[in-house]
Amino acid sequence: MQAFEYAGPSTVEDALKALSGAKSSEALSGGTDLISRMKDYVTSPDRVVYLKGVKTLAGITAGPDGLTLGAGTKLADLIADKTVAEKYPALRQATLEVGTPQIRNMATVGGNLLQRPRCWYYRSGFGLLGMKDGKSLVRTGDNRYHSIFLTEGDALFANPSSLATPLVALGATATIVGDKGERTIPVEALYQVPKTAEDRELTIAPGELLSKITIPNPKGKNASYEARQKQAHDWPLVLCSVSIDGVGEINDSKIVIYGVAPVPWRSEAAEAAIKGHVLDAASASAAAEAAVKDAKPLSMNAYKVGLTKTVVKRALLAAIGNRYWEEA
Amino acid sequence: MASWPENPRLIGKNIARLDGMAKASGKAKYPSDMRPEKMLFGVMLYSPHAHAKIKSIDTAAAEKMPGVAALVVIAKEGATLRFQGDDIAAVAAETEEQARDAVRAIKVDYEILPHAVTEAQATAPDAPKVMPRGNTQPGRAQVTGKPEDALKGADAVIEGEYSAPVITHVCLEPHGLTARWDKEDAITAWASTQAVQATAGELAGKFSIPQTNVTVLTPVMGGGFGSKFGADIWGLTAAELSQKAGGRPVKMFLDRVQEHLAAGNRPSVIGKVKLGGNKDGTLVGLIAETSGTGGTRGGSNFPFPYVYTVKDLSRKHTEIFVNGGGARAMRAPGHPQACIVMESAMDDLADKLGIDPLEMRLKNLPKDFRTKIYNEQVPIGAKLIGWENRKPRGENGKGPIKRGYGMALHQWGGGGTNDKQVACTISPDGSVEVKTATQDIGTGARTILAIIAAEILGLEVKDITSNIGNSTFPPGQPSGGSTTTPSMAPPCFNAVSKARDELFVRLGKAINEAPADLELKEGKVLVKGQPAMDWKEACRKLGMMPVSVTAGAAEGLASGGVGGCQFADVSVDVETGVVKINKIVAVQDSGLILDMLTWKSQVYGGVIGGLNYGLFEERVMDPGSGVMLNPDMELYKLAGLSDIPEIIVHAHDTPEMRARGVIGIGEPPTIGTAAAIGNAVTNAVGVRVNKFPMSPMNVLNALASASKEGKA
Repeated sequence: MQAFEYAGPSTVEDALKALSGAKSSEALSGGTDLISRMKDYVTSPDRVVYLKGVKTLAGITAGPDGLTLGAGTKLADLIADKTVAEKYPALRQATLEVGTPQIRNMATVGGNLLQRPRCWYYRSGFGLLGMKDGKSLVRTGDNRYHSIFLTEGDALFANPSSLATPLVALGATATIVGDKGERTIPVEALYQVPKTAEDRELTIAPGELLSKITIPNPKGKNASYEARQKQAHDWPLVLCSVSIDGVGEINDSKIVIYGVAPVPWRSEAAEAAIKGHVLDAASASAAAEAAVKDAKPLSMNAYKVGLTKTVVKRALLAAIGNRYWEEA
Repeated sequence: MASWPENPRLIGKNIARLDGMAKASGKAKYPSDMRPEKMLFGVMLYSPHAHAKIKSIDTAAAEKMPGVAALVVIAKEGATLRFQGDDIAAVAAETEEQARDAVRAIKVDYEILPHAVTEAQATAPDAPKVMPRGNTQPGRAQVTGKPEDALKGADAVIEGEYSAPVITHVCLEPHGLTARWDKEDAITAWASTQAVQATAGELAGKFSIPQTNVTVLTPVMGGGFGSKFGADIWGLTAAELSQKAGGRPVKMFLDRVQEHLAAGNRPSVIGKVKLGGNKDGTLVGLIAETSGTGGTRGGSNFPFPYVYTVKDLSRKHTEIFVNGGGARAMRAPGHPQACIVMESAMDDLADKLGIDPLEMRLKNLPKDFRTKIYNEQVPIGAKLIGWENRKPRGENGKGPIKRGYGMALHQWGGGGTNDKQVACTISPDGSVEVKTATQDIGTGARTILAIIAAEILGLEVKDITSNIGNSTFPPGQPSGGSTTTPSMAPPCFNAVSKARDELFVRLGKAINEAPADLELKEGKVLVKGQPAMDWKEACRKLGMMPVSVTAGAAEGLASGGVGGCQFADVSVDVETGVVKINKIVAVQDSGLILDMLTWKSQVYGGVIGGLNYGLFEERVMDPGSGVMLNPDMELYKLAGLSDIPEIIVHAHDTPEMRARGVIGIGEPPTIGTAAAIGNAVTNAVGVRVNKFPMSPMNVLNALASASKEGKA
């Protein structure tokens, strides 16, 4: 780990000042991602700004228009929250499956959303695109955990945030503060597909802070389902979050998939396929089929196509309480 | 011939480890916990490239870095580095951070050479040369009878390819030691090793100092699994750095990345097998071509055919060299690979013949002492797992969750050596010490020696001071091959028995009784069967002079050769490829069991290790860059608590087994687990999943390719 300056502000203003006062800086929250990146020299900031002292960043507030999550809210607190359990099962389920109890007691909402990709090429020092000598190591290498959409581009990693998936499905917004003030964007707008090795996958600018997430009141039903190799601490291979506007004929739905693209992957094809149908096993299968129709897997991850189909189908059926896969 | 007591009071009971509470509570100081005064931190610089030549090394800047006390260059200019993780240099500094910064300041100019890090790369027609002697070393075919003809005449023949990747040891305590020069020709080292005396010997040899002046201390250690037999280059380098730093202790323990890269691994296996049998399940012919890689070091060969007897067979093994860290012994070297290839083929053949794979196994047992052992164990295991619920392949329900059962047989030696010694001292104050230069790799060695002494002396286990993990003690066994207990229990029995006999002679003289009339029972001395005095009072009669006996092994107390079978009950979700294990049963013999609690703990540990091999572990090498992509404990997957199912351990502990004497248990229980899991998964999903681990990727790929071929 490279030596760094340390700042421990207690207000948002001081935090912003601290972030912009060094050549390069990183905001530190739960530390479950940043510290390991620093130890591996993947990220070597000149200054680390610890946000735990900024009390206004943490906390969950329920209001008439929905729920506000401070970026510093710990995942464990999110899981324990009554409103989240009652109204946003998609978010609770996805959060519940993150890491371990120890990680969930440290990791925060903002940290989960803004963690960097888990791509093992990126983590081995080959950059976001996993390039060496101008060639993609990912495309010809071990891409079992990589994307199956947008693979014609050079960004082949999968977005790592388990919380982004349900938050996008729930239509949540993110509020970002900077020295020019505050702006609020849809959660999906936190992410972009990098074109070059110099681009970032996060749209938040250096010196800015993610302050809160606002989730509107749910319209109908929502649910998440994930598949992963281990029962204990593991990353999802594929995770899908859905929200639908009711139990009858579906007019409005959001179907978002993790593990298949460098951004939270909103499957408009699946949404179109389910529109106008009552959600049941047949329509869920049809939507799942549509979700992967245009998948372009890499050399080693064709297995993810079928897996994605299953996960989309199960997330949809979970929303109406059909957990057929749990039957003996 | 010596013999163990017929009706033991302590031996074979559930006795907690003497150091169990200290280990569980964090009080025990592991070698890597030691912080001798004025200690420096050592850090290794290792190759970031899979294959490179060192053009030049410039250490000038590093030597001037803050806190740097010593620097050693290991790989000279012009040397070839053959894997990522190959040793280059090392630094000792006041803090770990300073040492890490300093190794990064060493300027190495590399000529990068083309690499081959996977078996496929190394065997490609245009592969770069990994080793001067070439990338493969084909073995000579071992042929018995006429296998081709035998297969032609068989009722059924299966042809399969089964493989498992390279895995690494992942010891919780990393490799390394802290070395201190005590004077110009003496070293003390706190080492995490499974061989204190071998480590002392290497240190003495490296610096040409008397081995008697080297003290290696391993009071407890955090796992070795076969990978910690010596000082290693980093340990020797720690001592060299300490010497350069005027004798100040240097702590050199590897980090997790380096553990994966350089501290050993279990070789991969690829087995192409043709196996033929008759309708009644008798094996008639086998043709096997196997290969594997142990990195740059070789060692991928294994015993084959495994367990079963086949009359006509041919087997050829090819060693493949890749630019990867060298293999080291890993818990039952070769056997888990052999078991995977053999037992997968056995199941596939039974399926083709339409017979119960359990029956087929019993039909083909070797004709030796193990025949009876297996015949007794298999029905026990079958009952415990619920084998009667097993259905043929592909008949495991209509829903996505398929239940399956599998099994595997294994074998191991586990015999000891008879050249080790134990010293026993009975002091006039009644205290008792047993000591020897072995170490406890986790088997409970310390506790087992105390149990034996307490049994013989009529005392409690807590009354015995059991001292191990010191290279200056009488010669003790390195912990490898499941040999520690069978090597150390007999000399312990012998030394304590002789000490007791001497106590009887001297006590007899003092109290005017014949030594033959004396006995020890429940802390008392009995004269002609009547309690006469308590233990401490008796010992006081020794006056100023303790009893001290050092003895070697006595005949008849240990033997070798075990069987063992394991069963797995799994549920596989065929829509996700996710495998969940419901239950594992391990039935295992190992002669006379000295401590049932530590014995079972060995079996649990072995099964969990085997479960990891079956479901999770894989060293992933990147063909493009030549680096390992998962040198961590995250994407290098290992079971967490919720991945571990109910494990039923059945000790095959019969009077006949006990009569065989002590046999080691470390290795055998890890052999069959992965093979049994693979067979259970295959039974569940209806098609052979032929690539380990049983990951969603490998399961779904097997299902997809079978469905392409119209098989499922």
